[in-house]
Amino acid sequence: MTTAAAFATPRLLSGVLRGSLLGPLAAILLWELAAHALTGAFVLAAPSAILVYLSENWALMGRALGVTLANAGAGFLIGNLAAIVLATIAIVLPRSDALIRGLALLVFCLPLVATGPILRVVFGPGPWPQIILAALAVYYTTLIPLLVGLRALPSGWLDLVRSYGRGRLAALVHVRAMAALPYLIAGLQIAAPAAFLGAMVGEFTGAERGMGVLTIRAMRGMNVEMTWALAVVATAVAVIGYLVIGWVARWFLRDEPPIILAPPPAPGRNGRWFAALINGVVITCAALLLWWAGLKLLNLNPFFAKGPWDVVTALFTAPDAAETRSTLAGALGETAVFLVPGYLAGLLAGAALAMLIILVPAVAGTAMPLAIALRSVPIITTAPLVVLILGRGALGTVVLVAIMVFFPTFVACLHGLRQAPGRIIDVLNSYAAGPFEQLIRVRIPAMLPAFFAAARMNVPASVLAVTVVEWLATGNGIGSVMALSASLSDYDMLWSAVAVVAILSALGYAGVGLLERKVLRAYAPEQLL
Amino acid sequence: MSVPVVCAGLAKTFGGNVEAVRPTDLAFAAGQTTALVGPSGCGKSTLLRMVAGLEEPSSGSVTIDGLPPTDILRKAGLSIAFQDPSLLPWRSVRKNIELALDLARRPKEARKIEQLIHLVGLDGFADTRPAELSGGMRQRAAIARALATEPALLLLDEPFGAVDELTRQQLANDLPGIWEASGTTTLLVTHSVSEAVMLSDRVVVLSPRPARIVADIAVNLPRPRQPDLARRPEFAEIVDEVFAALAEGIAETLPKAAQ
Repeated sequence: MTTAAAFATPRLLSGVLRGSLLGPLAAILLWELAAHALTGAFVLAAPSAILVYLSENWALMGRALGVTLANAGAGFLIGNLAAIVLATIAIVLPRSDALIRGLALLVFCLPLVATGPILRVVFGPGPWPQIILAALAVYYTTLIPLLVGLRALPSGWLDLVRSYGRGRLAALVHVRAMAALPYLIAGLQIAAPAAFLGAMVGEFTGAERGMGVLTIRAMRGMNVEMTWALAVVATAVAVIGYLVIGWVARWFLRDEPPIILAPPPAPGRNGRWFAALINGVVITCAALLLWWAGLKLLNLNPFFAKGPWDVVTALFTAPDAAETRSTLAGALGETAVFLVPGYLAGLLAGAALAMLIILVPAVAGTAMPLAIALRSVPIITTAPLVVLILGRGALGTVVLVAIMVFFPTFVACLHGLRQAPGRIIDVLNSYAAGPFEQLIRVRIPAMLPAFFAAARMNVPASVLAVTVVEWLATGNGIGSVMALSASLSDYDMLWSAVAVVAILSALGYAGVGLLERKVLRAYAPEQLL
Repeated sequence: MSVPVVCAGLAKTFGGNVEAVRPTDLAFAAGQTTALVGPSGCGKSTLLRMVAGLEEPSSGSVTIDGLPPTDILRKAGLSIAFQDPSLLPWRSVRKNIELALDLARRPKEARKIEQLIHLVGLDGFADTRPAELSGGMRQRAAIARALATEPALLLLDEPFGAVDELTRQQLANDLPGIWEASGTTTLLVTHSVSEAVMLSDRVVVLSPRPARIVADIAVNLPRPRQPDLARRPEFAEIVDEVFAALAEGIAETLPKAAQ
């Protein structure tokens, strides 16, 4: 997996320097003209207007950026350290692996927009909610490639360690740690923009300073220039973070970082349903226990800190339980109407564009590094723009979810399409099969594992996107229920919503995994071993 | 410094129904080099891995100098070299050799390591990374690593299998002298008949999977073996004998179409 990836940094930079400046310049010009044409519509700020805004408000912007960067940095450190510790435990104690993966996924599925307000009441107005959200946003995308990387090595290396009578710890220190380094770097590259995104979402939920606070202010005040300026700065920071980590990595890495950042589908071979069931029960019990113990240990006020039993009560036995359930179900239904089409559209668009590009090999080489860099753009921070352009209706939400899903899918599919074994392509060439036939017969089957890996990882990501938009802008669906219950201090409803969304996301992830196993069994059985 | 190895009723079945090695009794005398020869996939590597303690036998036992393999591993008493040189790509030749000493918890004596690098013919490449070495040089480095801990038992799993024929002959000329000089007990898994006869004191011929001993042939040729030995009639005679045993094992086990 490490071979075909292109380091985004040098190619992108050299590409820009080589004179492909023309494209971006034309785009900016077009953007400028469009903005002037739409002056009255309050949707598009011209690049010149953004520059003017930034130059006039650089002090305000700089302070906010500094605050958000500090929070994102702290969250980046904490989240990645947690990921490294968890991955180490999972490798040294292989029995804990399934439990760690399961819990990590469940925590990753917590909707950040609702976790934010809860952390806010727990920690008060300080930076901790933002830092924790940033950490939550990054740990999973580092943990998963690390777990893959710590295992992606020739069995001979491990036999070597064992043949000197040494155990798992020696294997970890002498062999696995270095072998996993490219995967760690790949995870960190994705984590840098994700940390920024997490910190901003944290600031949406009632911080006093930072980029997220300014974003809310700009949206409330319909300040188009400010909204655009914030999105541009956030995007620039995220891309720079991504490039800097890649650039630093080049100093001490031999291989390029891998591209696919998803774990192989959950083990659960034929006839192992029982084991999978036990696994699920263990993970659920552990999650409930951690939830309960966490509240007890932190000694939180039961008014806002609801335990598992409170949620069960609120959903099933309380006098207003039926009402709570119907509110949640109605909101979830509304959300699904945006989420499912957006998710599917993003997947299909990503796969389709990748296929189109592979048919034109000249473009594929340059599209890849660009797409990898674009994958790092914190789409959520551009949510206000999408709302500005497409309005607060269904279209804006669907498009945002689709964009969120599109980039990782596109990168994964393009990578998968290019992974097609050269020998088989040679065989097809020897029958003079055209690029289209190669695509259908060889490349698409070779792409499927990457496509499904992306589809799985995108379930929580699309839930995040839809809840953020609903929370920020559209005012319907589960995101809005969370926002409303947070501002009304209806903590029973808030915790219930968090629990239900997390469980549904995790189930969606597992459901895509199930489909993935069915497809891979036919097309890539070697991936299931 | 060498140890006897005894396999008693040693057998391996994978996944409950794939029989890789049938119950086998085999003894390897201390200080002897024994070649295990058989068609690919016959289970000879599995046999070697069980001796190395890397694979748990389904039944029967291995004892090395009267002890189970795990006890020998803990004392770093054996070394294994694979077909894939299994060098860590981020370590130089020297550092890869040092890794074995680290893992074996032995002191790293710079002079000894230098000597080893010289013996396997890698002078001047001590600080080169594996990616910049040819396939043959990587195998040399892997052999140097295996010998670094001065093992009493040396297990070689097709150590010259992944290189071209000329390099293979070169390696087979250059390297065996090093471990023969130290008198280690050596087990060599190979599917090259001439290599087996050239390097060993005894050739054990195995049948296709599940492995069973077809013939046990002594190689009474003078040591040290010279390259021109391969052209002598007594060498050719033993080679023919091994080929005949191999063919017999295949004929007994497989239907005609599968051969």
